[in-house]
Amino acid sequence: MHNEIAELINSKLPEAKATVTNPEVGDNSIVVEAESIKAVCKLLKKNKEYSFNSLQVISGVDYTDHIEVNYFLNNLDLKAPRQLQLKTKLEDRINPTLDSVTSIWKAADWQERECFDMLGVTFKGHPDPRRILCPDDWTGFPLRRDYMAPKVYNGMEVFPESKMNTADREFKVRQKMIEKAAKAAASEAEGEE
Amino acid sequence: MQEGVVLTTVDNLFNWGRKNSLWPMTFGLACCAIEMMATGASKHDLERFGCGAFMATPRRADLMIVAGTVTLKMATRLKTLYEQMAEPKYVISMGSCSNKGGPYWQHGYHVLKGVDEVVPVDVYVPGCPPRPEALIEGLMVLQKKIANERILTNKWVKRA
Repeated sequence: MHNEIAELINSKLPEAKATVTNPEVGDNSIVVEAESIKAVCKLLKKNKEYSFNSLQVISGVDYTDHIEVNYFLNNLDLKAPRQLQLKTKLEDRINPTLDSVTSIWKAADWQERECFDMLGVTFKGHPDPRRILCPDDWTGFPLRRDYMAPKVYNGMEVFPESKMNTADREFKVRQKMIEKAAKAAASEAEGEE
Repeated sequence: MQEGVVLTTVDNLFNWGRKNSLWPMTFGLACCAIEMMATGASKHDLERFGCGAFMATPRRADLMIVAGTVTLKMATRLKTLYEQMAEPKYVISMGSCSNKGGPYWQHGYHVLKGVDEVVPVDVYVPGCPPRPEALIEGLMVLQKKIANERILTNKWVKRA
C-alpha cells in the first residue's frame, strides 16, 4: 500500500519527493518534504481510492540534528480500513516551521498546539497558536533534547535543594547546565543593552 | 433544673463542632481524586465523620484535600483557592505527589515538589494513591489535632 501511495503522491506532486522507509522494526512510513505537507495531506484526504478521512495524531520528535513531525492518518471506512504514517523532516531545529493542516482536519488544532508547546514547531495558518499544556508564560520547549527547566517559576522553586537528592549525578549535571544557561542568557541580555 | 444542665468549656464546644463538620472542597487533581471519591462514596462513607459534604466553592469549605499531582501551572490556582477559603481552614496533602512531588520528584520540570511549598499542610497521607482507609485515618488524625486546639492560642484567632 505504501508504494502505491508514494507513487500517487509523486505523480500528482513531484515536489513532495515521497519516499517509503522500510525499517527493520516497526511500521513502514512515507517521508515527504516539509514544504509540501499541506498539499500532500489534502491529496490523501480528497483521493477517492485512499481517502484518509481522519487524523489520529500529530507528534514530534527531536533527533538533536533535526526535528521530525509525524502525522498518523486513518481511513475509518469499515470496508477498507487503512492506517498511514506520514513523516516530514525539519532541518531548521531552532525555528522549525510547517504549514498548518487545520483546514483539512479539524482534529489538527490541538495536536498542532501540543507540538508547538512541546517542541516549538510553528504552524503557519493555525487559527489559535497558543500553548496547550504548559502555562502561557512558560519559557522553552520541554521535549527538546537541550531543554533546561527554569529554576524558579512564579516565585516557586522548581528544584528546592532541601528536597532534592543532591548526591544524584544527574542532579549535579543539571544544576551545572542551568547555571551555564543562566550565564549565557545574562551575557546575551548585556549584549542587547 | 439541675438535670438539664451540661457543663463544658468553650474550647471543647468549638472544637467538637469544628471537628465533626469538616466540609471538604470538591477539588481533585489526579488519580488520588478517584480514591477520594471512593472514600466519599457509600462503601467507605466519609459522611460518618461529618466530612461528606463536598462543597463546590472554597468559600463554604473548611478542608482542602489536595488529591493529586500539583503542577506548577495548578499551584498558582491552588494557592488562590486556599486563600479564598474562610478561616479556620485545614489542608490534607493526599498521596506522594502532593507530599513531595512523587515520581516527578527528582527530574520533573513541571511539578511542584510538595504542596507545602505554597500552602501550610496539617496532615500528610502517604501512598500512591492512598487507599480510602488511609485517607480516613488522615482525616481522623486531623480531627484529633482540631480537638486539641485552644481558642486563645489558636493561630486563626491570633491573626484576627
